[in-house]
Amino acid sequence: MNVHITPTMLGQVVISGILSGALYAMVALGLALIFGVMRIINVAHGPLLMLGAYTTYFLYSALGINPYLTVPVSMLVLFVVGVLLERTLVFRVVDAPELSSLLLTFGISIALVNLAQLLFTSDLRAVEYLTGSWVVGPFALSKSRLVAFVFAGALTGLAFLFLGWTKLGKAIRATSQSREVAMVCGINVQRIHLITFGLAAALAAAGGALIAVIVAIQPEMGQIWTFKSFLVIVLGGAGNYPGALLGGVLLGLIEQVASLFLTTQLSEVVAYVLLVVILLVQPTGLLGGRQT
Amino acid sequence: MTTPVLEIERLRKRFGGVIAVDDVSLRLEAGRIYGLIGPNGSGKTTLFNCITGVERRDGGRVRVSGERVDGLRPWEIAQKGVGRTFQVIRVFPELSALENLLVVTRGHLGGARTRALELLRFVKLEGLRDEYAGNLSYGQQKLLEFVRVLMRDPTLILLDEPAAGVNRTLLNDLLDAVRQLRDRGKTILLVEHDMKVVMGLCETVFVLDHGEKIAEGAPGIIQTDERVIEAYFGR
Repeated sequence: MNVHITPTMLGQVVISGILSGALYAMVALGLALIFGVMRIINVAHGPLLMLGAYTTYFLYSALGINPYLTVPVSMLVLFVVGVLLERTLVFRVVDAPELSSLLLTFGISIALVNLAQLLFTSDLRAVEYLTGSWVVGPFALSKSRLVAFVFAGALTGLAFLFLGWTKLGKAIRATSQSREVAMVCGINVQRIHLITFGLAAALAAAGGALIAVIVAIQPEMGQIWTFKSFLVIVLGGAGNYPGALLGGVLLGLIEQVASLFLTTQLSEVVAYVLLVVILLVQPTGLLGGRQT
Repeated sequence: MTTPVLEIERLRKRFGGVIAVDDVSLRLEAGRIYGLIGPNGSGKTTLFNCITGVERRDGGRVRVSGERVDGLRPWEIAQKGVGRTFQVIRVFPELSALENLLVVTRGHLGGARTRALELLRFVKLEGLRDEYAGNLSYGQQKLLEFVRVLMRDPTLILLDEPAAGVNRTLLNDLLDAVRQLRDRGKTILLVEHDMKVVMGLCETVFVLDHGEKIAEGAPGIIQTDERVIEAYFGR
């Protein structure tokens, strides 16, 4: 392949990478929270995102609500779904060996996808709301991606404010640093698990709602997001919440840069090759993982 | 007779074939300092774990201020007024010193802040309040863990080796603090290997050996008890 890369192309790639990176960071933060607090890798994270996307789709197509106004609604709905899943199923595997939680969340993932196929069919559905691009100088900024970036940035910021400044947020961080000590200090860790799972599902739902405006959705859209989120937290350091931000933006940039040089199919592979390399070379992630 | 702050009746805990705590009964009255001693592996920490609900007991009863707490979850027991420190210091390393205290409070953050700052001043850590707890020195972490217990104003305080790895000055401060708590009506049970500390501080000492309580009494009497000497030095 003989590609001539201009500075404009590079600039465009960096912009696109950062735009999608913020979305990756927000969705991955949910996965990182569950992993940090409960020591569970939630394979169903992507399918929860898919449910968020459908919630937005139906609110938009059936009720004609502005899809961006449905973001908080989708988040709330999926918060409840997350809480119910934790209360009925996931709490049983919190102290179990890793394989149990992997199998359980994998099962939940399959169940959710099949349920969605049954209820919503496998048809592609689109929220045609904000299409086209804004042209700024030599760069084209996709409107829906730019708005998604703003939402993702704001929601991620809110999530960090919540973790940093509220009592509940502090309790979530304390529990992720030492569950046993948190318990003995009077923190109801069962409640913390419930809220963390709900919150993570809500972050996934926000991602789904924003993605629904960008691309067409279908029941199997979620799984790739589980993998991407996993890649993001491995990049940033598992259990390291700010690391998810760095990991998200990095993944966005890597994908975009790769797309400059490689065909679309091949550029998708780059991220996974990178995952394997990082797991081999620097398994605690670029920022380092949790200390304990 | 007043209701004891802690009453343990025939508490039993086994790990597989090993009986870690064997029918131990204890009674702790309000406003006193108790010691729990015994050779390594005699079940002291396991007993703490059973009281705080971290380990499920296999038999027996635990009452705090007359109320059954065995079978409750650890946070419920903490909410009934039981606080503890750990043998190996366990602060929340990536929370600031101040946050370590705020996070365990019962009420809202606003009121808790005043109390947390007071406690940090009490152990002279107010200058380090925004420092990550994991960056504090060993002694500072020990003090932080100690005042974290006080944050909830517990009625019963369990201290697992408060003197371990602490220099003399710090130790004296800690022991003074423990006495002050006693004078304010708190009940303290401490596991300690430093016999000078135990003998100088505790009013009553319980001795465990192989999970069994083999002696109980004033420190002076315990020191001359034949079973105790045998447990420590062999026959």
